[in-house]
Amino acid sequence: MKKNKTMMFCFLAPAVTLFLVIFLYPIVRTVMMSFFKIDGVTDSISLWHFTGIDNYLKLLQTSLFRTSMWNLFRIWFVGGLIVMGLALLFAVILTSGIRFKSTFRAIIYLPNVVSAVALATMWLQSVYSPQFGHITTFFKAIGWEAAANIQWLDAEHKFWALMFAYCFGMVGYHMLIFASGIERISGDYFEAATLDGANKIQQFTNITLPLLKGIIRTNITMWSVSCVGFFVWSQLFSSVTADNQTIVPMVYMYAQMFGAGNTVTERNAGLSAAIGVLLSICVVIIFTVANKALNDDDIEF
Amino acid sequence: MKKKLLSILLGTAIVAASLTGCGSKDEPATTPAASGQPEASAPAENNGEGGKTIVYWSMWEASEPQAKAIQEAVDAYEAASGNTVDLQFKGRTGIREGLQPALDAGTTIDLFDEDIDRVNKTWGNYLLDLEDLVAANNYEETAISGLIGACREVADGTLKSIPYQPNVFAFFYNQDIFAKAGVESVPTTWAELLDACQKIKDAGFIPITCDDAYITSMFGYHLGRLIGEEGVTRVVTEGAWAEEPAVLEMAKAYEDLAAKGFFSPTIASNVWPAAQNTELALGTAAMYLNGSWLPNEVKEMAGEDFKWGCFSYPAVDGGATGTETANYGAQVLAINKNTQVAEEAFEIIKYITKGEFDQKLSEYSVGIPADTSNTEWPALLSNVKPVMDSLTTRWSWAVNSEANVDITPVIKENFLKLCGGQMSAQEFVDAMEKASN
Repeated sequence: MKKNKTMMFCFLAPAVTLFLVIFLYPIVRTVMMSFFKIDGVTDSISLWHFTGIDNYLKLLQTSLFRTSMWNLFRIWFVGGLIVMGLALLFAVILTSGIRFKSTFRAIIYLPNVVSAVALATMWLQSVYSPQFGHITTFFKAIGWEAAANIQWLDAEHKFWALMFAYCFGMVGYHMLIFASGIERISGDYFEAATLDGANKIQQFTNITLPLLKGIIRTNITMWSVSCVGFFVWSQLFSSVTADNQTIVPMVYMYAQMFGAGNTVTERNAGLSAAIGVLLSICVVIIFTVANKALNDDDIEF
Repeated sequence: MKKKLLSILLGTAIVAASLTGCGSKDEPATTPAASGQPEASAPAENNGEGGKTIVYWSMWEASEPQAKAIQEAVDAYEAASGNTVDLQFKGRTGIREGLQPALDAGTTIDLFDEDIDRVNKTWGNYLLDLEDLVAANNYEETAISGLIGACREVADGTLKSIPYQPNVFAFFYNQDIFAKAGVESVPTTWAELLDACQKIKDAGFIPITCDDAYITSMFGYHLGRLIGEEGVTRVVTEGAWAEEPAVLEMAKAYEDLAAKGFFSPTIASNVWPAAQNTELALGTAAMYLNGSWLPNEVKEMAGEDFKWGCFSYPAVDGGATGTETANYGAQVLAINKNTQVAEEAFEIIKYITKGEFDQKLSEYSVGIPADTSNTEWPALLSNVKPVMDSLTTRWSWAVNSEANVDITPVIKENFLKLCGGQMSAQEFVDAMEKASN
């Protein structure tokens, strides 16, 4: 087959150019920025001050940044277990031939179409409010005063209140991905297993789960990416200034980039870039580990 | 052949249509006379040369009352001058994140507004010195001298911004609760505040409430009363929590308030705007340390009959500052130093900050007028005027207690615990000392 190099160049050039300009340049620039002290994110390079790996060292030494990373890890790990567990459970139930499947699927997915601002406001004012919250009202109604007096948004409980609210909204999204993966599996396998005497749990552990490896890997990657970008919920649960329970790296990054709260504070876009680089490395590590651990190359169905 | 002819005709038609579409939108397709319609009269007040465009980025959302007043001022300016104003309401986040990158990228922005400190400190390098324009327009004659002075102070002695929508941060209270509790005069000392709190509590109300967003102001104000803003800055930036005895003294004062039950029982878990919208606006709590924007924010919930009172944070024994010192400030308007339309931009500033539209801004947003000849304040703020008039020294936001990004969340957490009675004064100091090392 004769190759027309000019045509190949013409067709590839726009895509390659766009990739270089839109993806590669910002990545390279961000990595470069992370080694400099920069006041404003758009300052010209002549205003950058080279600091080597100081930004990274400073981050590691800053207790607040470590707290933010710990909070993020807990959201990713504990929240991930809850979200993935519930999403998989709902997906299995919905694909098992129950009635009103579409209705249940729509109900579980519904929080995803509501804005995060509205959802967070609902949780703060309707669910967790110590005066009018449903939780307080419920415990009062059943006469459990000790539980009714718990302040779900104080320092002791705020992180868990935030995480639970966030997870509530994320289950539907991951459930859809799991459900699409389960529906891909031919019914013949389950029929054959049923004939061989396997019960539902055996079918799930020996057929569904192994054949969902690729989907689980996709879900873990998507969950990790969304966790790393965790920002709006944190801002809504601690308005104006961050607090220890809700701070995550993106909030710390924002404070360093644009200043924190209402006070004019020192800015360092280089430090923000270093946070971005660290978070990217985290995602790459998770993606690599998930790829190795959940390799489904040997599975064909 | 037919196909070729058709292609040429279609091609010509597309080019012609494109060129028509590219025509200047300023030129009407038909003149009013030609279309048989009556000729629109020119603006009666149009006495300027006109033809210039001024780009104005504002911090407000288009739906906010401040935006409505600014839009009206700009409309009036356009009608009078014949110039065009490209007014863009960016919102707080939009302008905070987008202004500097846009200026760096060479975007034409002649005029913009934001908070006094951010404009002068963060964006100070982009500002035009306004001293000559101010002098030429005799602007200061009817401007609030304290605020003009504050603008000069934050810009290292020269005037680079013009204040509007002034505000003051003080205790706002429910006059009805004070009356029911028998509190006849506003507290001016700490002892008087304690006395008022006791009476209010005895009358069955919550004396003081606060939301998490403003809790650092309570911390900053009390410490500021004891050691001034410089002292507060030193404590939070240098971590002198244990070395500075005033920190423990401040913490003990708040431990005492908590122990006596003078705070809302939910103060440790009030996420803004829970306390201001429910406890204060609905009449269960009496006092809230907040800005003069508070009555506007809660007016729908508080109702028209809510009687607002205001007093400066009380003086403390042996303190470095008294009730004459508080955080007051304003949003400010500033002109890009690279603008080609400085005089026109300043004229817009005058439209917004003087006379009719300053009054409208005050009226729509229940705010303080910036023009001293606008002596009529909104009824909801009538009791704020004596406080504003009594202030002689300006503090920064939260008395600069949020100056250290790495420590502000720790102050917030521990001070909320202190107010909620979950931590003692000494534990507060120890926790802060530990977090700073």
